[in-house]
Amino acid sequence: MDIDIILAQAEIEIKEIGSRQELEQLRLKYLGRKGVVAQLTSAIPTLSSEERASFGQRVNSLKNKLSLLLEEKEKKFETGSDRGDRLYFDIGMPGIAQDIGHLHPLTQINDEICAIFNRIGFSTLEGPEIESEYNNFTGLNIPLEHPSREAFDTFYLKDHPKMLLRSHTSPVQVRAMKKYKPPLAVIVPGRVYRPDAVDASHSFMFHQVEGFMVDKGIKFSDLKGVLDLFARMVFGDDIKMRFRPHFFPFTEPSVEVDISCIICKGRGCSVCGRKGWLEILGAGMIHPNVFKHVGIDHKKYTGFAFGMGVERIAMLKYGINDIRLFFENDMRFLKQF
Amino acid sequence: MKFTYNWIKDYVDIKFSPEKLAEKLTMVGLEVVSLEHRDGDSVFEVEITSNRPDWLSVLGIAREAAVIAGVGLKVKVPNTVRKLRRLERLAIEVADKKDCPLYTARILTGVKVAPSPGWLKKRLELIGCRSVNNVVDITNYCLFELGEPLHAFDLDKINPGKIVVRRGKPGEKLVTIDGTLRSIGKDSLVIADTVKPLALAGIMGGRESEVTYSTTNILLEAAVFNPVLIRRQKQAQAVQSESSYRFERGVDAGIVEKASRRAAELIGEVCSGKDEGFVSFGLTKAKEKPVTLSPVNLRDISGIDIKIPKIKEILSGLGFKVRAKGKGLLAVVSPSFRQDVSLEEDLIEEVIRIYGYEHIPASLPKVLPAVTIKDNKALISEIKNILTGLGLNEAVTYSLIDSKILKSFAPLLRPVELMNPLSQEQGVLRTTLIPGLVRAIAYNLNQKQDCISLFECAEVFFERDSLPCEEPNLGLALSGAKKMLLNESAVKDELGMLNLKGIIEGVFMRLGIQAYEFVSHNHEPKADIYINNERIGWMQMLSQGLLDAVGIKGKNVFIAELSLKKIILFSHPEKKYRPLPKYPGIIRDISFILKKGESVKSILSALKENGSPLLRSLKVVDYYKGKQIPEGYRGLTLECVYASADRTLTEEEVAPVHSIICALLKEQFGAQMR
Repeated sequence: MDIDIILAQAEIEIKEIGSRQELEQLRLKYLGRKGVVAQLTSAIPTLSSEERASFGQRVNSLKNKLSLLLEEKEKKFETGSDRGDRLYFDIGMPGIAQDIGHLHPLTQINDEICAIFNRIGFSTLEGPEIESEYNNFTGLNIPLEHPSREAFDTFYLKDHPKMLLRSHTSPVQVRAMKKYKPPLAVIVPGRVYRPDAVDASHSFMFHQVEGFMVDKGIKFSDLKGVLDLFARMVFGDDIKMRFRPHFFPFTEPSVEVDISCIICKGRGCSVCGRKGWLEILGAGMIHPNVFKHVGIDHKKYTGFAFGMGVERIAMLKYGINDIRLFFENDMRFLKQF
Repeated sequence: MKFTYNWIKDYVDIKFSPEKLAEKLTMVGLEVVSLEHRDGDSVFEVEITSNRPDWLSVLGIAREAAVIAGVGLKVKVPNTVRKLRRLERLAIEVADKKDCPLYTARILTGVKVAPSPGWLKKRLELIGCRSVNNVVDITNYCLFELGEPLHAFDLDKINPGKIVVRRGKPGEKLVTIDGTLRSIGKDSLVIADTVKPLALAGIMGGRESEVTYSTTNILLEAAVFNPVLIRRQKQAQAVQSESSYRFERGVDAGIVEKASRRAAELIGEVCSGKDEGFVSFGLTKAKEKPVTLSPVNLRDISGIDIKIPKIKEILSGLGFKVRAKGKGLLAVVSPSFRQDVSLEEDLIEEVIRIYGYEHIPASLPKVLPAVTIKDNKALISEIKNILTGLGLNEAVTYSLIDSKILKSFAPLLRPVELMNPLSQEQGVLRTTLIPGLVRAIAYNLNQKQDCISLFECAEVFFERDSLPCEEPNLGLALSGAKKMLLNESAVKDELGMLNLKGIIEGVFMRLGIQAYEFVSHNHEPKADIYINNERIGWMQMLSQGLLDAVGIKGKNVFIAELSLKKIILFSHPEKKYRPLPKYPGIIRDISFILKKGESVKSILSALKENGSPLLRSLKVVDYYKGKQIPEGYRGLTLECVYASADRTLTEEEVAPVHSIICALLKEQFGAQMR
């Protein structure tokens, strides 16, 4: 066997190994009692005398070189420049899962909406879900036996006449304006109920966020400014907003607010019904009759109010097409948010 | 409400395309929800808000279109200045003018009832109204065109001489044109002759006196009825018609006579009917009550300065009479068809709506309110965040529930019942959050989810002292096993009572609640939860009966419900710093086996008491059952930390205390050291 070839092969083998164990095996292979060098040495007596000297020298030199190579490799393991299998690490393995839970998407949207208004000075206030007919209707200038009540079909309580499940968060306007004096800026999140049969876009229970501001000199243009800020913060800076005249008994003037469709950017698609606009909330200047009911001088104070459906905003923002998903609580759904 | 483009063009010369008209109408408040091109015309459908009954007519929409286009109406409404021929052979008696402020009748003779001509049929059919015969179609045509519902009776089926508008009498019945036999009580308003009721006022005519192909003489009714009465009647009779839809919103008294005349003219043209004359009873003109409009107020409320001539132009275009009142104020009189306008704010809306909301600038309110209202929202948000941090997912479940299911979960509390539930499945308000969460667990198990951990923060409702009450609760539910891939191996940990306890303790700890206690009896998997010795909740493994009730098989579910109100009450969100230990402690572990009867809690408290003050902390660091532990026993390892606030302890100081602890374990609790 050619000693040079042995050396070259050993060099490659030493270079490739990654552990001390393998190093030890190589040491045995080459320098062990029955190793390659030992075998070569044992062959010396069989050679002719003139061959013996030079072959002996070359075996010796091989032995020295191998020892050096193994020693160097050993040192590499020690200094850590090649620490081998003991510290073998694969970053491709999954991280140890930290089991973090998820807030419900409605809570996330709700919190996002409230946080925006909190930042511009609105306080959060909540009200009860069981309400009086007065706070839900009369105090909000929705007279009994008026067709405007039809938009607010309502669950009534069986054993308590004139008590109901609030059909909107607006009764908190009446409560807050009676309890606190202006200036007022309030944001009201909450559950509301209407007797709508459940389907992909209807639910007998849903969530609203109501906001209102009362002070001297509050103008319709302020409503526009505040809502414009809100729409851009929720849906992005490139969103367009428009006010459409509408009717609500508790505001005058009243508007419905549309944003340019976030799916098609206003070109018209199935989500916006090819209109290019999406209705996101109702708003207006608080009706003088509401001020009269709560005892605020409507000659001195003005105010605006607005209300929106949280499910609607969440569906638009997340691209959810069935409202029932919010209440099924499928873990695979919840964990997406 | 539907109308067509050509019909509008009968009233106003508009140059816009149907699409442009749709857009412009939408932007003044007449939201066009559909636009269809059919048979050489365009059919619009608009959503009409309940304050604008005047928009329930082609004329009303044409008025709006005229203002948008900046042109006048082509006056086609028949004008009433022409002298009316008074009808002598018919008297009108109205029992109560509140029920019927205005009633008019007209008699037409020699009418040839036949199918309608093509133009009439087409218009009605385009807007979705079925053609009946020429007379009925003309009354409907006028209803849609002018917004005044009309009714034609077969004059020869009526006892002659008198029309009576009165309440129903006990036991009276009427078959309406839809073939329904209806009972009429004193709450119903009827149109009657001297003998019998002929029609349900404002809602539907009677079958007996309806116009048929054999009719030759007709009585044409045009009236105004009390909106509330019509609304109640509509609800009581469970019937909705184009007439009742308009009457309950309020029709324009000013159009009544014109509509009657318009119909008479069409009946003359189309059916050769001869107009025999007209008789009316009641108010024809309402008193004019001018509303003052201050352009300054308009500017202050809207945020835009609109010049007086522009204000006048808009309001006059909409049919208001405007005159200057001095001091820069305007006196504005509403037309009869705008009963919805009675305040200055109403006028301001009219002006800025037509001026265009898009021209109003966006500003931000100058004054930020000084009042800050405190509420629990922030703390509830924090609790939710703690729970998600502990690995739970937030659920939102329905507050309405089937009373039977609720009863199996919470038999003691009386729920609040709904008067008008959608179904029995949602008949009552829940007194507990658990059924909703357990159903969500069942749903997820069906979806083959193997580790389900849910919570909900929501109101529960109950009857107390005959009052409906509500309070916020926190519900928790766990089921399945947590599978974790660790550094060395994979672990599967079945979720159970101690997971639930740990979660609740985690919440308490973060909220600064220390004086809490979990109390159970007989070592059953259920416990009551106390804070400051007040019971604020409970936890348990769901019973087999309830698992069966919700259809969960082969899985355990662990649930807890706590009063959020109480948690909030007992929480200490204000934190106070305690100095860190200055001197290192000495740690001693004790491993022993123990009979299962002893509660670890009582052992820990006895040891703490006896190890005080040097024994600073004591915790269970290992717990094991297995082959090396005898049956009925469990193995525990306690870690004892001895420390002092003012010095470094020596072995000599700690040894006697630790011996006491070990002796106590052996003697009092029968522990066998390992």
